[in-house]
Amino acid sequence: MLSFIIRRLGASILVLLVASFLIYNLASLAGDPLGDLRGSTAPNKAALIAARIDQLQLNVPTPLRFFIWLSGILKVFIGQFTLGDSVNGHSVISLVGSSAANTLQLVTAATLLAVIFGVAIGMSTAIRQYSGYDYTVTFLSFLFFSLPAFWVAVLLKLYVAIGFNNFLGSPVISPLSITVISLVSGFIWMSIIGGEGKPRLIVFGSATVITAATLGFLVVTDWFTTPQLGPVLIAVLGALTAVMVTSLTTGLSNRRALYAALITVLIGVALWYPLQFLFAAFPAFWLLGLLGVLSIVVGLAVGYFMGRDDRWPAARTAAISSFLVGLLVLADRLMRSWPDYVQAVGGRPIATVGANTPDLGGSIWLHMIDSYTHLLLPTMSLILISLAGYTRYARASLLEVMNQDYVRTARAKGLTERTVVMRHAFRNAMIPIITVVAFDVGGLIGGAVITETIFAWRGMGSLFTGALKDPLDLNVLMAVFLIVGSFAIVFNILADLAYTALDPRIRVS
Amino acid sequence: MKIKRIAVVASVVAVAALALSGCSVPKTSEVIKGTSISVAWNDPLQEYNTLSATGNSAANNNISYMANSPFNYYDDKNKLVKNTEFGTYTVEKKDPLTVKYTVKEGVKWSDGVQVGAADMMMTWAALTTHLNNVEAEYDADGNITNQAALDKGVFFNAGAVKGQGLDLVSKTPTISDNNRSVTIVYDKPFVDWELSFPIGVSAHGTVQLAYPDKKYSGDAANKAFIKAVQDKDYTFLSPVAKSWSNDYKFLDMPKEKQKLLSDGPYVVTDLKDQQFVTLTARKDYTWGPSPKYQKITVRVVGDPQAQITALQNGEVKIAEGQPTADLLTQIKGLSGVKYKAATESTYEHIDLQVTNGGVFDPKTYGGDAAKAQLVREAFLKTVPRQDIVDKLIKPLQPDAVLRASLQFVPGTPGYDAVKKEGAYAQYDKVDIEGAKADLAKAGVTSPKVRFLYGKTNTRRQQEFELVRQSAALAGITVIDGGSETWGADLSSKPNAYDAALFGWQATSLAVAQNQANYTPGGLNNYYGWSDKALTAIYDKLSTETDTAKQDDLLVQADKIIGQQAWSVPIFQFPGVTAWSDTVTNVKPAFLAPQYFWNFWEWAPSKAAAK
Repeated sequence: MLSFIIRRLGASILVLLVASFLIYNLASLAGDPLGDLRGSTAPNKAALIAARIDQLQLNVPTPLRFFIWLSGILKVFIGQFTLGDSVNGHSVISLVGSSAANTLQLVTAATLLAVIFGVAIGMSTAIRQYSGYDYTVTFLSFLFFSLPAFWVAVLLKLYVAIGFNNFLGSPVISPLSITVISLVSGFIWMSIIGGEGKPRLIVFGSATVITAATLGFLVVTDWFTTPQLGPVLIAVLGALTAVMVTSLTTGLSNRRALYAALITVLIGVALWYPLQFLFAAFPAFWLLGLLGVLSIVVGLAVGYFMGRDDRWPAARTAAISSFLVGLLVLADRLMRSWPDYVQAVGGRPIATVGANTPDLGGSIWLHMIDSYTHLLLPTMSLILISLAGYTRYARASLLEVMNQDYVRTARAKGLTERTVVMRHAFRNAMIPIITVVAFDVGGLIGGAVITETIFAWRGMGSLFTGALKDPLDLNVLMAVFLIVGSFAIVFNILADLAYTALDPRIRVS
Repeated sequence: MKIKRIAVVASVVAVAALALSGCSVPKTSEVIKGTSISVAWNDPLQEYNTLSATGNSAANNNISYMANSPFNYYDDKNKLVKNTEFGTYTVEKKDPLTVKYTVKEGVKWSDGVQVGAADMMMTWAALTTHLNNVEAEYDADGNITNQAALDKGVFFNAGAVKGQGLDLVSKTPTISDNNRSVTIVYDKPFVDWELSFPIGVSAHGTVQLAYPDKKYSGDAANKAFIKAVQDKDYTFLSPVAKSWSNDYKFLDMPKEKQKLLSDGPYVVTDLKDQQFVTLTARKDYTWGPSPKYQKITVRVVGDPQAQITALQNGEVKIAEGQPTADLLTQIKGLSGVKYKAATESTYEHIDLQVTNGGVFDPKTYGGDAAKAQLVREAFLKTVPRQDIVDKLIKPLQPDAVLRASLQFVPGTPGYDAVKKEGAYAQYDKVDIEGAKADLAKAGVTSPKVRFLYGKTNTRRQQEFELVRQSAALAGITVIDGGSETWGADLSSKPNAYDAALFGWQATSLAVAQNQANYTPGGLNNYYGWSDKALTAIYDKLSTETDTAKQDDLLVQADKIIGQQAWSVPIFQFPGVTAWSDTVTNVKPAFLAPQYFWNFWEWAPSKAAAK
């Protein structure tokens, strides 16, 4: 294992070295580091040009200059690591440092959500192959797949940001809109749950009615301006979550696991009231982290005591439900700060540019909402496009696995469909998806260029495009290349290791 | 915080009341408590010292402009306005040119230290070569060979040039008026003296940054610095020069408060990761017009489209950028948004090579200068200047016009004079017959013009195509010389092109800056242009301090360039500034700092106060 990693790393570093030499020379031909000064009419133009030539050592031929750049990296061994200066005389390390942090913030959530939803949707379509739901999702995923990122971004800004903000000005949904939305929702649920004839109609009818009732409730209670969950909704949503988690992990037939999960929900609801005081007393991130860990521990404990003969599955189920209920409580707390936030940003909460509202002030709740409102649109635009791909991969991969002999064997020996899919098929179906995800992460780090530009995030992408403009900023360009390249290498190695974890037949050696 | 609205209403009423009562009392702060405004700019703040070679960019200048008071500034009519509440400057003697600068008593840096002689001495020390005693030297591999000397020596990285601009002040300035005045003497008369002596970063702050261990007080630091400059104490000045050149570069809020000292209405209070800069109004500011907003935040939004959506969504109140036709339509359709076409400071023009042995060089015709000039005239007559403006610029800026002068910025009195004289009027309309006649007269058939332009720039590709088609009608073949490295090719490959199409940026109204373009040996004269009368005009100009006479000379210069058929201006780069109607008094200006020039007049409108 260790020798495998070392060999892979060694080979990758060699590739990176050769590639960076090539890129350095090619990129230097792509522009002019003095470009902005050429058109200048400043009286001291010559001195400015000379100063920049000195600063960036432009009088050294490019292939040789590469080795000056490389020596800066090799100085890491004597503690003087440098990636050179930008055209403006900033140290590239500080520029890249702040940009990389911004990009990671943007990409992490988007990647995680895209993978989770992509795999979930893809697999559910595979199970309901050739149903109306399958066709609808297939159509939509091809639609999103073919949408250009900049266009999606502009549409999102127009409808989700500006449109929604306008809607919040007077949050009323017309009866016609409620009817249409409810019918669509009914159709979607009917397609997912499937069945024939009467059951199908029952699903359609109840889903439509529930949606209409929910929307009506939201409008009547003025939920959009003063959103909150409260203990009642937390209990209802928590119970639903517990049932869903149990059915996915152990199956509803495992009553002990189900009861354990439901008990954690009750604990969550019971703690809701005292927690409000705790939130007010210590509004800090460490508290949230602590509570998160605590919720998992409590879940494990409840499951462990409830589980008796089969303790581990019940503990696992209860821990997941407990954590999710914790999230619901947090969401409720954030919703209670929403009106303050809306007022602070002048009544238009959903943002179209930047990573946060400058000079916001206020509590951590406001700042969390602020991050959320700023992340919402770029994350949606990144998700919509990569989600489509993951859906297709997951569907194809699961369909193939489901047709294998060992799945038929599993069914033949009388396992429930849930066990067949979740235990036997799911793992193997994940292998090709891991490959795709590993590739994508490397690409996303450097490739969110368009999203970053349109939403004015100062990340790696905007750093890269900025460096390519006039004047060419070669050192910055190379730093971005180096980081994206390193990410690609690391994630590919991680993918190789993940294969062995997923499939014992694969060995690294 | 943006949460207190009632205070806003109250203060708007108060301001209105003040305005009605004819408030002329200068020492009243008009800052409305609790108000803030966010505006968009396309680049982040990279350096707070805007006088250094690396710090002189529009984004840096805008922030510095709001944080610091100048001796003078340009208004939206391109007029230089003196800021006498901050300080005064008077010409004491014309020969030699002696100017006395005085900062008013009570004008203070944001740490309470009086602005004065030390700060002006800092400008002199940094922007001249008289105290710089080393330059970097390199070996064949580009490694610095005199690092030790550089470390010990004094090097202000300001791009100062021997014998140019402020460098003409070779004698150490004298100090008077209790360290508030500085008198400088120019060795030779210098036409742009009014623009060449700004106050940059604080002297005492820079000294404190250079000597953190010595714990200088503000006044002690100023004293030590003045003494070091007067005694040419290079050992003391070396770290100061290094601090001046390097310490004002930062991306996040710096720990040392010296790095963000301001001597104007605002002080930078927040700065984040190249995303935004927040400036807060200083309470003790009384010198000069009082701003209305308590906080101004400049957000970095590179994409003009994103700026407009952010404006629409209320995240920024002012947006600015190079428009596209779609963007302009979108802006027009927005309710509650006002806009104004605001041209940028770059202008497009065509230059012709006259000493490269090409089609416009007399040498090609056995030294017959008249013949070469006829060919140049013929070519320029075919350049469809109006067509270029109509087809490529008007969709972006409906009121775009041909630029009529190479010397003057549109909107100045001199510009109107040149327009009246019609220095380039013979090329305003395409004259194919005239061009043919010129060519026939010169006896030149089917000349070939190699045309250099930025290949990656779509607009320039289209311009080239228009020029090519039009010239072909007169029998002139225009050869595509588009290049990615056109900027370097201009000077390094003069033999590879006959005509060059690109833009000059003119960011100030300094009169002498064009000398480098049109006199022999000038830095921007890549074309071998040489005309005795024109050189004489520029020589005269550099000593002429009377503005009316300066204008006369420059009008003549434009006429000579037109007659020589060396170069024609085409258009000013289009730009657009759009702002929300919740802010009043936004007046986009043409020169840097563009829409920021009157930031103190910006005020929340009554509707916004509700």
